[in-house]
Amino acid sequence: MTAQPILDAIKQKFGTAIPRADIPANNRLFVFVEPPALKPICRFLFEEQRARYVIGIGSDDRPFSGQFLVAHNFAFDPQRLLCSILTRVGPENPAVESVASVIPAANWAEREFQDLLGIQPRDHPYPKRLVLPDGWPDGVHPLRKDVPWNHCPPDYDENREFAFDEPPAGCLVVPFGPFHPTLDEPAHFRLYVEGEMVRGCEYRGFMAHRGIEKLAESVLTYNEIPMAAERICGICGCVHNVAYVQAVEQAAALAPPPRAEYIRTVMLEIERLHSHLLWVGLACHIVGFDTLFMQSFRIREPIMKAAEAISGNRKTYALCLVGGVRWEITPELKAQLRQVLDRLETEWKPVAQAVLQDRNLQIRTRGIGVTDPELVRNYGLIGPVARAAGVDIDCRRDHPYAAYDRVDFQVIVADEGDVWSRLVVRVKEVFESISIIQQCLDQMPNGPLQLSLEGELPSGRFGLSSVEAPRGESHHFVITGENNRPRRWRVRAPTYQNLQGIPAMIQDQQLADMTITLGSIDPCFSCTDRLETIDLRSGQQRVFAPEELVQLARNFRKTP
Amino acid sequence: MLKELCQKMFSRSLWVYHANSGGCNGCDIEVLNVLTPFYDAERFGIKLVGSPRHADVMLCQGPVLRPTAQALKRAYEAMPAPKLVFAIGSCAGGGGIWYDMYNVLGPIEKVIPVNFYIPGCPPRPEAILFGIAVATGRLDKKVAPVQFKQVEFPVPRYHPEDLREEDGMVVYEKLEKV
Repeated sequence: MTAQPILDAIKQKFGTAIPRADIPANNRLFVFVEPPALKPICRFLFEEQRARYVIGIGSDDRPFSGQFLVAHNFAFDPQRLLCSILTRVGPENPAVESVASVIPAANWAEREFQDLLGIQPRDHPYPKRLVLPDGWPDGVHPLRKDVPWNHCPPDYDENREFAFDEPPAGCLVVPFGPFHPTLDEPAHFRLYVEGEMVRGCEYRGFMAHRGIEKLAESVLTYNEIPMAAERICGICGCVHNVAYVQAVEQAAALAPPPRAEYIRTVMLEIERLHSHLLWVGLACHIVGFDTLFMQSFRIREPIMKAAEAISGNRKTYALCLVGGVRWEITPELKAQLRQVLDRLETEWKPVAQAVLQDRNLQIRTRGIGVTDPELVRNYGLIGPVARAAGVDIDCRRDHPYAAYDRVDFQVIVADEGDVWSRLVVRVKEVFESISIIQQCLDQMPNGPLQLSLEGELPSGRFGLSSVEAPRGESHHFVITGENNRPRRWRVRAPTYQNLQGIPAMIQDQQLADMTITLGSIDPCFSCTDRLETIDLRSGQQRVFAPEELVQLARNFRKTP
Repeated sequence: MLKELCQKMFSRSLWVYHANSGGCNGCDIEVLNVLTPFYDAERFGIKLVGSPRHADVMLCQGPVLRPTAQALKRAYEAMPAPKLVFAIGSCAGGGGIWYDMYNVLGPIEKVIPVNFYIPGCPPRPEAILFGIAVATGRLDKKVAPVQFKQVEFPVPRYHPEDLREEDGMVVYEKLEKV
């Protein structure tokens, strides 16, 4: 029992403020608290219980309970527990106490529910717009249930400009993006540069916000959402697919058949393989080592073909349904996959050796974009970024899902926290992934792929799921609902947290290192997307709202 | 008309610029795949460049979102004429599953003119190569189903009913039967 002692600890301190607590499983805890106790409890968990902040969620629960719902999710990694602190706030001018001053990692999450649901985070250190585009009028919140999914307010003003900060004295402004050769996706950074050194940075992102959560809540059904979830990100799509399905399964207390769990594990690791090879290639491309870019893409191609042989598509596998999977791994596919893996292993070894001994690469990446465990904790950084800084977290081991509790693998940790360590971690993780897939292929039991489900899924239940994506933990939160679709589905992609650490990583670095530092978190803006300004000198974070695009475009002309 | 223009203007090396206006990355990495050894678009002289100023072709991915529409337009205007625009993937071509969401304007063609559409989610690298080959006049566009006529098969086919065993060997009796 891991949930009970933590619940006891919270109850002991805040007993009267907790009307209800659920322990649906040994590794999940839902605590409903009174609104005034939200901040003290979050602080208690973060500071005294040393929990890792995962995400904050807002939800429009008015049609069901007449109130809004706010949740802050925490992960207790050593205790293998995911925990959600929920509170209900009134329908008129909803507001909660902001926790961002205590937990910097909550900064974006709170601004997001302020934008999308109109729940005010009181005393937020930088309460500006994050997600919605600049021209979006105030007071329209697309995630509220009374706003249709395709509603764009008539007073949307595309010419509204974004007011950037004045750069610090003596600094020049260097715009970076939205279309930049090293960014695959649109995002805008405004760097304040003094000579060659970056002194500060404003970030205006969330340009790929497509509103998939709203789409899921109003148009799609339970089994259509996994396909849409895959389109959150073209690289780590299967992760979202599995995470969503697991969250629903947890909410509805379903256990998928063991064979399905093994197949999920295999596909997730195939995805990690292709993503890591892609990343190593791109990182080398960014620092000018194009040979390796070509080599790693060459080595990667057979994996794409193997994935296609199993699922019928190279990237979007359409793998899961609630209660199982759709694709079978037949004995022929198994043999084929084994061959591909053997070849990959023999080909990756010399490449890994070449990378790990390349002096130029080390000179370019050592001591660049450094993080330390304190930064990792404060901003909730995850995945290879955290592991490279010596923080030993990995959802596959800490919050086991699918068949990860039945295979043997090592969590690769490095301790320098720079771009080089992230490279080392990813290069070595490739071998672990290969071994995980091989073990799964050996152990895979026979049996059905899909549970037979009867009737509707129960409504109003909560589900949490964390899946280790190639970039870090992908966290999904689901509230089941009526009409065969969830009431609320919240996705927290790994880049959402990792990007918040970027300003600290690039501070007082050379401008030329910006690209590889940003590249080193393997950013995935489509997963994350939204706008923020950060003044590194004071360490303050601010978000920017409208009127930015004209400015952007003007800057764009000056950018080569 | 467009075909002739393409053949004339773009028959040599195409320099491409890729712009993602809010897609999921899937098409992006397939475009990268096209440029790397397995598919190797560089053998057709296709090269990825970092600035629209240097480009002949813009490869657009993802639906146009409200925040990126103007930036995309400016990138398009920055390209020197003559220029081509490819809409790669379902989202760029038709808006994808997001076509009517609150933050989405729709397909690329709502903002800039599109010359070629490459459908797929994401399109296979072969499909992207095919699109480029059509654009450069190396292949004909598939506008309707093409019918093929069976030509006479010059070698005798295998007809088991005509086989006869003789002295432990199999003998074909009617070699002329086609």
